[in-house]
Amino acid sequence: MSPEKLIFRFEELGREHKQLVGKKCANLGEMLRMGLAVPPGFATSIAMYRRFAKETGAAAEISGYVSQLGQLKGKNIAVFDEMSRKIRGMIESKKMPPALAKMIASHYKELEKKGEAPDGAVSVRSSGTESRPGMFETYLNVVGIEDVLDKIKKVWSSAYTARAIALRVNKDIPVTGDELGVAVSRMINARSAGISFTLDPITGDTSKIIINSSWGLGEGVVSGDEDVDRFVVDKKTLKIIESSTGKKAKKVVNKKRGVEWGDVPSKQQSALSLSNDEVSAIAKLALFLEERLGRAQDTEWAIDADAIPPDNIVLLQTRPAGLTVKKPESVTDRMIDLIVQKFYRP
Amino acid sequence: MPKKKQVAKIWDAVPGYDFIEEVDLAAIPSWFLDGTHSVPPLTPLFAYQWARFCSHGFKAACYKLGIPTCKGWEIRIFNGGIYCGLHIVRDQKEIAQREVKFRQALRPWLEDFDHLWDGYKKELLGIYDKLKELDVDRATNLQLYHHNYDLMEAYMRMWEIHFIGMYSSFNTWLLLEALTKERFGLSDQEAEFQDMMRGFDNKVYQMDKKLWEFGQLAIEMKLANIFKENKPPAILPKLKQSEKGKEWLKQFMDYMTTDDIGGWRMQHFTDFNEPYWLEDPATPIGLVKDNIMRGNSYDLEVTRVEIAKKRRAAIAAFLKRVPPEEKELFEGLIKLAGKASSYSEEHDLYCELSVHALMRRGYLAMGRKLAQSGTIDNPEDILMLNPDEIDRVIMVPEANDMRWLTRRRRAEWEKAHKTTNPPVLTRRASLEEAINLDLLPSRDAIAIKIVVGEMPQPKPRLKADLWGICGCPGQAEGPARVVTKYEELKKVQPGDILVCPSTNPTWTPVFGLVNGVITDTGGTLCHAAIIGREYGVPTIVNAQKATAKIKTGQRVKIDATNGAIYILDK
Repeated sequence: MSPEKLIFRFEELGREHKQLVGKKCANLGEMLRMGLAVPPGFATSIAMYRRFAKETGAAAEISGYVSQLGQLKGKNIAVFDEMSRKIRGMIESKKMPPALAKMIASHYKELEKKGEAPDGAVSVRSSGTESRPGMFETYLNVVGIEDVLDKIKKVWSSAYTARAIALRVNKDIPVTGDELGVAVSRMINARSAGISFTLDPITGDTSKIIINSSWGLGEGVVSGDEDVDRFVVDKKTLKIIESSTGKKAKKVVNKKRGVEWGDVPSKQQSALSLSNDEVSAIAKLALFLEERLGRAQDTEWAIDADAIPPDNIVLLQTRPAGLTVKKPESVTDRMIDLIVQKFYRP
Repeated sequence: MPKKKQVAKIWDAVPGYDFIEEVDLAAIPSWFLDGTHSVPPLTPLFAYQWARFCSHGFKAACYKLGIPTCKGWEIRIFNGGIYCGLHIVRDQKEIAQREVKFRQALRPWLEDFDHLWDGYKKELLGIYDKLKELDVDRATNLQLYHHNYDLMEAYMRMWEIHFIGMYSSFNTWLLLEALTKERFGLSDQEAEFQDMMRGFDNKVYQMDKKLWEFGQLAIEMKLANIFKENKPPAILPKLKQSEKGKEWLKQFMDYMTTDDIGGWRMQHFTDFNEPYWLEDPATPIGLVKDNIMRGNSYDLEVTRVEIAKKRRAAIAAFLKRVPPEEKELFEGLIKLAGKASSYSEEHDLYCELSVHALMRRGYLAMGRKLAQSGTIDNPEDILMLNPDEIDRVIMVPEANDMRWLTRRRRAEWEKAHKTTNPPVLTRRASLEEAINLDLLPSRDAIAIKIVVGEMPQPKPRLKADLWGICGCPGQAEGPARVVTKYEELKKVQPGDILVCPSTNPTWTPVFGLVNGVITDTGGTLCHAAIIGREYGVPTIVNAQKATAKIKTGQRVKIDATNGAIYILDK
């Protein structure tokens, strides 16, 4: 792969390209290689971000600004808020250099032309080389090249949220670390979506596959906000051993551009968002990924309303599954949390 | 010549801090009486200093720690009483913002309380050493002028420090109680909780022990009879008459002058109008006498050591009830909550008692200058002026006559002794409403556990005459001794049941004499409760009307464990 190439279709990628395009894009390519259904799309490389930052002068601006700030460790969150504001502005205010805009536009048009993105709606997601769950931006239902270019820049600048800056400072990583690749892929008309774990994230039990599901796009499931349907499948027998209905009061729906939370009709709330066949199919896919990738997987999937079963399950992302037991919280952390919760919250 | 009309303005008792209904009630709906610190009524000079700098200390600590729901207290003086209005933060967004700072600021106190408090103690002692450098009796008027400001600056810094340690440690006490209530139905009024919070080695205990040792030394040196046969003021001159006596006195005065705190301790906690120990050694000598009189039947070391042992056993027993994954959390909390108790006891020595002694010393010296020049009648009348007025007259005192002011204020102050102050000044419908709307939402641990306290819960089947809350568990019986004026403390006899509005650190020695204590005010972290627990004296606090309903001499019985008070001969 020549180093000058800054943009790739997913078919051109595989797991060995993590440093090139970030983990998400590399894994999407790898899943395609395995013959799995993945939304068609392309990846912008980390080198493209660097080219953008260099040519527009953003890189110099940012490093100049950061170096005059001095020692950042132990600083107040207000400092990082201010930094975030400034740096994100430095990135987002720049026009996309014509050469980069051209290659992005041609790949985007290709998606359109192939009939793969008939109305031009795509998702624009961050793809970094380090594991930072939930830290950077995802944009859904992005329509038109101007919107695509704008959202790519916003994903790049999302490396500089206050939280992300604070994390890097505290871990002694350079403030300008976390340069991002971007995954641009066709929006799925998701009837249902959710996640699967090939181990129980709370107990670490590896004999089960856990599937959480809800209506519409999967954002509520991923963030853990909404009360969702839950299925437990035995890994050996692939039989559904538990099935429970969540409240599912809201779902993510498309607007003209972007998405929003909408109400779920009450009949749908009480109905399971996956059929038993679909649960089994997802469980099989999850297991397949675990076996091929050699470790437990945390996978995002969607049921494509425009496709015909059994080919209607699309995989959106996969990564190694970790236990949700957080890093050992110190007793002091716990005390502070409890004091705040019990006395100073409504 | 026609008589000149009286044109001099009648100045308030505490200009700037007098309670003005139209202004203060409009700003803050309820003002709560601090009964612990303003009975008897405060002198104007002390009231001014306390109102100004104690409230500043509250605000500074709330600011530094970022207490999410409270920005500090305002203090006003009404009829010699301290009234407190809380700055409650009610906007949820603002509370959430303050929470971020609070989490950061609280952390170091949870991780290393002792180290931080040690640092502050050193800072305070350094400030006090500087104040001691001035030879107040040889000072020029200009030096005294500056000393007025040095004293106020020391006072300001003391209060800033005072509340930081208090808020940080008290929050852990509150959390521990919240968790023990949740998990085990155990509140901080019960023995099982309180036994885990007693028997600490701190400066108070160390000084008590020293006095005890001086008593033993006197016995060893065969001086016991001088103590036994004389009243405290007469003991010192008698000691000077013998070699042994002089030797003992030398050691004693060495301790008073060279110890960090030593004799720099006020006899009366909240005012300037009683001497400090170094000024009148008869006071601490009287305590040595009490120790000698008690003889071998009371060993301070044994008591405190026993209580410490009991604490460790109580903690071990309690931890058995705690699930394994929570043991570390509870262990840590118990340790920190213990610091709330220990800090509450110890901080008085490094904070109020020392600085008040230095302020008395400085202001009395100014008083002597002003009395000499006829500006005021007596040196003690300096307590009837405030620092701005002192500033005005101290450079050229002979040109100023302030007696018209000091006499009026003294008369008002003496009159204030004849009335009791209401527990709250409020525009709410009742005390309960005032507490619910204008106190509790502050989540201020000091307000809830010390100044106002939780309400007693009567247990009808016990048929008691009065109810309070448990400060230290246990039962006791004896003749009541009602003490509402500081001078009456001297009348307390061994075996009495002390009944008073509240206690404060200068009353600590009395706890060694009495069988039980009942206070009108306070909560589980108030002084009486903490000292009761450290001395093993059954104590009931927040009995509300005890001093009104009980008469000196009546036989009373207390069941402090249940907060029950029985008047045996009515």
